[in-house]
Amino acid sequence: MTRTLVLIGHGMVGKRLIEALRAGEHGNDWRVVALAEEARPAYDRTLLSSYLTGGDAERSALLTPSVPDDPAVRLMLGTPAVRVKPGRRVVHAAGGERVGYDALVFATGARPFVPPVPGHDRPGCFAYRTLDDAERVRRAARPGRPAVVVGGGVLGLEAAAALRALGMRVHLVERSDRLMAAQLDAAAARVLAAFVAGLGVRVHHATTVASVDGGPGGAVRGVTFAGGATLPAGLIVFAAGVRPRDELATAAGLTVAPRGGIAVDDRCRTADPHIWAIGDCAAVHGRCYGLVNPGYRMAEVVAAQLLGRGGKTFTGSDASVRLKVMGADVASFGDAHARTPGAVEFAQLDRAAGRYAKLVLAADGRTLLGGILAGDARAYPTLRAMLGRELTIMPPGLLAGAASGR
Amino acid sequence: MTRVVVVGAGPAAHRFVECLHRRGHRDPVVMLGAERRPPYNRMLLASVLAGALPAEAVTLPDLPAGVEAYRSATVTSIDRATRTVHLDDGRRFRYDALVLATGARAVVPRVPGIRWRGGLSPQVRPLRTLDSCVALGPGPVCVLGGGVLGVEAALALRRAGHRVTLVHRHPYPVNRHLDAAAGTLLARHLADRGVDVRLEREAVRYDEGLLVLRDGETVAANTLLLCAGARPRVELARAAGLAVAGGIVVDDRLRTDDPHVYAIGDCARYGRESGGGVARAWAQAETLAALLTGGRRRYEPVPAVVRLRDPELSVVALDRPRPRAADGRAETVTFTDPAGRRHAALEVLAGRIVRGVLYGLPQATAAATQLFDRDLPLPADRLALLLGTPPRTGTGDLPDDAVVCFCNTVTRAGIVAAWRRGCRDRAALGEATRAGTGCGTCVAEVDRICERLGAEPARGPATETGRLLAVGSGVTP
Repeated sequence: MTRTLVLIGHGMVGKRLIEALRAGEHGNDWRVVALAEEARPAYDRTLLSSYLTGGDAERSALLTPSVPDDPAVRLMLGTPAVRVKPGRRVVHAAGGERVGYDALVFATGARPFVPPVPGHDRPGCFAYRTLDDAERVRRAARPGRPAVVVGGGVLGLEAAAALRALGMRVHLVERSDRLMAAQLDAAAARVLAAFVAGLGVRVHHATTVASVDGGPGGAVRGVTFAGGATLPAGLIVFAAGVRPRDELATAAGLTVAPRGGIAVDDRCRTADPHIWAIGDCAAVHGRCYGLVNPGYRMAEVVAAQLLGRGGKTFTGSDASVRLKVMGADVASFGDAHARTPGAVEFAQLDRAAGRYAKLVLAADGRTLLGGILAGDARAYPTLRAMLGRELTIMPPGLLAGAASGR
Repeated sequence: MTRVVVVGAGPAAHRFVECLHRRGHRDPVVMLGAERRPPYNRMLLASVLAGALPAEAVTLPDLPAGVEAYRSATVTSIDRATRTVHLDDGRRFRYDALVLATGARAVVPRVPGIRWRGGLSPQVRPLRTLDSCVALGPGPVCVLGGGVLGVEAALALRRAGHRVTLVHRHPYPVNRHLDAAAGTLLARHLADRGVDVRLEREAVRYDEGLLVLRDGETVAANTLLLCAGARPRVELARAAGLAVAGGIVVDDRLRTDDPHVYAIGDCARYGRESGGGVARAWAQAETLAALLTGGRRRYEPVPAVVRLRDPELSVVALDRPRPRAADGRAETVTFTDPAGRRHAALEVLAGRIVRGVLYGLPQATAAATQLFDRDLPLPADRLALLLGTPPRTGTGDLPDDAVVCFCNTVTRAGIVAAWRRGCRDRAALGEATRAGTGCGTCVAEVDRICERLGAEPARGPATETGRLLAVGSGVTP
């Protein structure tokens, strides 16, 4: 008998769930109804900046993603879910349609966090999360004029790169003393900061924007820093992190983790046996990951359960990230900050060449636990594949002499 | 005939007369030592003080025959016009070449209570000479100064059963040679061995067996051992009108501004280099001996290898004063193991160590020190050098079950299997396994696997494929 899966959200992770489910099915066990808020099917959000800076091909690939023609999947675009009734196992979609389910999966993702500073909602302030956001930023960009990006993480750097490519004079504001603080150590962040500065992006470390100031008509005129200094700017992009979208689940009476996110166990199950949550909206044992790869793993875990192969659990601490913007190449993988008890660190820094590599090894000095690469991350795919294993190969980038042959 | 007079009888003087003799100098050599003892090796004083070594054990080998050596011979003045040195007992010696090897004296901090009636308080003892190493009385010892000597003395005394406090002005011991990471490990080691370590503290007063620190704390100190560094002994040279600036100034022939007067060892200053221990003193002694026997050598600052002498510790600091002018790459290599208390930081220029600190890595220390001494390039795999493991190469296969494509969970085995089925490039492999079709990060590794498979001799595919598929990825079609 065919059962119905209702998927709330059609982002990269939701899409992966459908793929994993369809790939693993033998017959048509499941009919899928996917309720998508955006008017277009899932696209690769990590390519937002190439939408702004790339050519027409990249743009159209993002704007018109291919969706397999599958009669078992009903994709309802521009139709967000508005209400979930777990007791009746039914979801109300915008527009009034009610869809009954045997299984319900939240893949609602996250929304950008905009710091509640005075003036954050003035015309000229943007978030940076969706294609629509990117399109708005593109239209507001004025070559030669100053812009401010709030947040020195991966997304902020991508936004800064995009604005730079659009010809703006970019100021990047990072509250901590280093860029990509979650992924990089101080040495790698210095390499990255020097590189970014060399491209004309002015980085303001260890400060915050206290207010967004308006001119006549209320539009953005500039920002005031926490220290009182001001900076003129006509465009502000907030890339200061994301918050899980758990409000629909909250309204449905599901438990939300203390720091946000729909509370699930390592099988991505909520307390309701018919409901799961995956991706950015899910808090696995209290933790939200905010990265696409852990989301993929969650999707696969849930697909396995829907297919009756329930053994798989989400153990994912894979917070590996590689950022390639403006020619800067940085990567962070595994236990990059050497938090494993007994972990040892080995690092090589070539200041003049702007290259840094760090390996984190277990106490035995052999097992690779993680690492950070900055300036040249070509070794990243090989190293990431060796995570948790004995480091039997020294990637050329980490061998002296070999690295200079770019 | 060249009559050589040496003022001083420490390691520099000793090595100098030895070399001079070895190089065939048979003209008169006079060596004037102020101490009553024969020349000895100062590096082991801490062990003698703690009673771990008898005083005789540090005596240097006998001088070559023909050297007129005098002990308790205190030179009071140099008459450069007549080329004569005068002693306090009225004796005098004429020279053709005068070698000043007067060494250095312990710094006595200007702390009220340390000096007493024109000398030192009886409980205060500078650790510099063998005479200062007579057995300590009972009661707690305070070592003032946490440099190499102070740390060695504190550990040796502690091992001998004394109650020991180490007072040091800087945030970590041996700060002149170590970096903060190694210094912090050293401080922890001292504390573990029962030394009461007081860092970033300064003494303000000493009285009646009690050292008072600036913050008001007091340290019990029946003996106060001064290890606060040493200053070149330059009085004689200065009185003779020779140029003195932080040491007796010499050129690369170790000559002072008087062509008949030379200086070597701790009392000499060459360029910006001064002090620097016994390796430097020996190099200067050898160079000067060569020059005075017709050689054409010039003195070049020697690479400094500073070691902490303690049976339980492996700590070394390396420093090359003038690295070869190199257009090569400058690189910093660090290894940190806080739990295992190991640390290394090397500055490398054109593949060679310029400066370095190694802590708790005896095997790497031996290898690195040797390469440093001989100015040889490091092996490409720096990590293997530091860990003492065989070097790795940049090539090799990943384990079969290693995940290559994280977006689609494709293992190396999955890729190998597809390759053996005929998918020979990135595109074909991507279609068959989905590897590389997500974020694209792994395509370089997929290419590398292809390349290596292409290079290896053909193998029977059937059993191989079967085995590999069993551990392969779930999404492989």
